[in-house]
Amino acid sequence: MRRTVRRASATVFALLACAAAVWGQQAAGYKAPRTRDGQPDLQGIWSARNAASGSLEAHTASQGIRAGNSVIVDPADGKIPYRTEAIAKRDENFKNRQTADPLNKCYTPGVPRLMYLPYPFQIFQTNEYLAVASEFAHTTRTIYLNGTSHLPDIEFWMGDSRAHWEGETLVVDVANFNAETWLDMSGNFHSEQMRVIERMTRVAPDELRYEATITDPKVFTRPWTIRMPLYLHREPDAQLFEYECPVYLEDEAKAKK
Amino acid sequence: MMKMMNALKVGMVLAAGLIAGFMPLQGQGGGNGKALPKAGPVKRLADGKPDLQGFWETRNFFSAFDLETHTVATLEIPVGKGVVVDPPDGKIPYQPWALAKKQEHLNSHLADDPQAHCFLSGVPRQTYTPFGFQILQPEGNLVFFYESFHAYRIIHMNTRPHPDPAIKLFEGDSRGHWEGDTVVVDVANLNGRTWFDMAGNFHSDALHVVERYTPIDANTINYEATITDPTVFTRPWKIAFALGRNLEANYENLEYACVEGEQDLVHYTESQGGQKKDQ
Repeated sequence: MRRTVRRASATVFALLACAAAVWGQQAAGYKAPRTRDGQPDLQGIWSARNAASGSLEAHTASQGIRAGNSVIVDPADGKIPYRTEAIAKRDENFKNRQTADPLNKCYTPGVPRLMYLPYPFQIFQTNEYLAVASEFAHTTRTIYLNGTSHLPDIEFWMGDSRAHWEGETLVVDVANFNAETWLDMSGNFHSEQMRVIERMTRVAPDELRYEATITDPKVFTRPWTIRMPLYLHREPDAQLFEYECPVYLEDEAKAKK
Repeated sequence: MMKMMNALKVGMVLAAGLIAGFMPLQGQGGGNGKALPKAGPVKRLADGKPDLQGFWETRNFFSAFDLETHTVATLEIPVGKGVVVDPPDGKIPYQPWALAKKQEHLNSHLADDPQAHCFLSGVPRQTYTPFGFQILQPEGNLVFFYESFHAYRIIHMNTRPHPDPAIKLFEGDSRGHWEGDTVVVDVANLNGRTWFDMAGNFHSDALHVVERYTPIDANTINYEATITDPTVFTRPWKIAFALGRNLEANYENLEYACVEGEQDLVHYTESQGGQKKDQ
C-alpha cells in the first residue's frame, strides 16, 4: 500500500514537473550554470526579438512600428486592463507619439521597457549585485541582491530594484518610479504608483525567460503580466557598443540650422 | 519638474554650484579632509587577485576642473594643483596649434564643454568626474558603474583585440590584464568628442590611453593614465592620483539623469563666448 502511494505521488510529481515545463517555468532537466557564488548564472548579452517595443498589445504595423502579437499573458485577452479614464490618455499619447514618446527625447526608458528595446543589454553578476548595462543611451540598472530595502522617498526613472532568488528564478521587486516613462512606442503608460515584479529564469543556455507583472491602481483595474523569451547573443565578438541618443539628437538639430 | 529633480543629484560638474562644493577641498589632497582610518591590506578574491569591489572616488577633486596647475581663477575654474606627473613641468605637451585651440575651449567652456551637453565623459575624464563609481568584479570582467550620467565601462579581461578602428566610442573599448596586483587597461576606439576637463584640455580620435589601477591597501587604489595622441601632442604624457574607497555605510549609487534634467541644454547648444544665450 505504502509502495503504491509512493508510486502514485511519483507519477503526480512527474506530471507536475512536465506541466511546469510546458508552462514555461523551465525546460525539463535544464539548470543554469552557476556563478562562483553558486547563483544561477544569468550573465551574458541579451535582447528580445519580438515587437513588444512597438506595443505590448497585438498591433498592426505603422510608421517605425513593426506588427506583432500581444506579449500579455494575463489577462487572457492580451489587453492592458486600463481604467476607463486612462484610455483617453493612452490614445492621446499614441496620436502624439512622434514628439511625446520620452524615448524620442532620449530619456531613460524605465522598467520594463528597457528589457525589450531593440538594443542589447548585458548582465553582470556578483553575490550582492546584478548589474544591467544597456546599449541604449548607456542606461544602467543595479538590481540589489544584498537583502536591502527600497530607498524611502526617492523617485527613479529606472525605479529601485531589490531582488531575491526563488530557486532558478530571480524575482525583482521594482518600486519608486516616476510617472515620466512609457511602456512602449504606442503610448502605453503608467503613473508614479506603478510597481513591477519581474521574474527572470535562464530556461536554456541561450534563453532567458522574462516576465513582468505590472500593478498601478491609478491607471489599471488589475495587475497584468507580460512574458517573453530574451535571447543570448552568440557571436564570438559580441560586445556592447554605444547608442548615444542625445548626441545624435543634438547633431541633427545643428545640421538643420 | 520637482519630481524629476528628485531623481537627480543635480550636476555639480555642470553648474556653478560645483565651485562651492569643491573650493574648500583645494590643496588638501586628502579628499574629504577627514582623517582616514588606517586601512588594512588589499582584499583578495578566492583566486588570489585583488578584490577591487566597492565604491570609489578620486582623492584629487581638482582634476575635474583642470589637469594642469591652474594659477589664476578663470570663468568658474578656481586655482588648484594639477595631476600631470610626466612631463615633469606638469604641462600637457601640446603642439602649437592645439595649445591655441585649448585656449579657445577654455574661453567657451561654459557653453562648449561636452559634459554640459550631457555627453559621456570619456577616458580618463570619467575617472575624476564627481560622485564616484562602483567596481564590480564578476568572472571575466571588471565593470565600472559611475553615478554621473549613469555612465558605465566594461573592462574586458580577455585576450580579444580591440574592435575595428572604424568603431568610435565615447568611452572607448577597454581591454584589461593583470600585471601582479595592477590592472592595466588599454583603451582604444575613442572618438574625438570628449574633453579631459572643464579647462578645455582636449584630444583627437587618435587618442590612446593606458590606465593602471594599483591597489596599495584596502582603501586606496593608485591610478595612472598615459595619454598618447600624435595629432594633438608632441609626446605621451601621464597623470596620476589616488582613488579612495567610499567608507560611508550602506552607500549606493543613485540616479543621475542628465538629459532629462538638463533644462539649460537649449541655452548651451552653441558657443556664446562662455555666456548663456539668455544673458
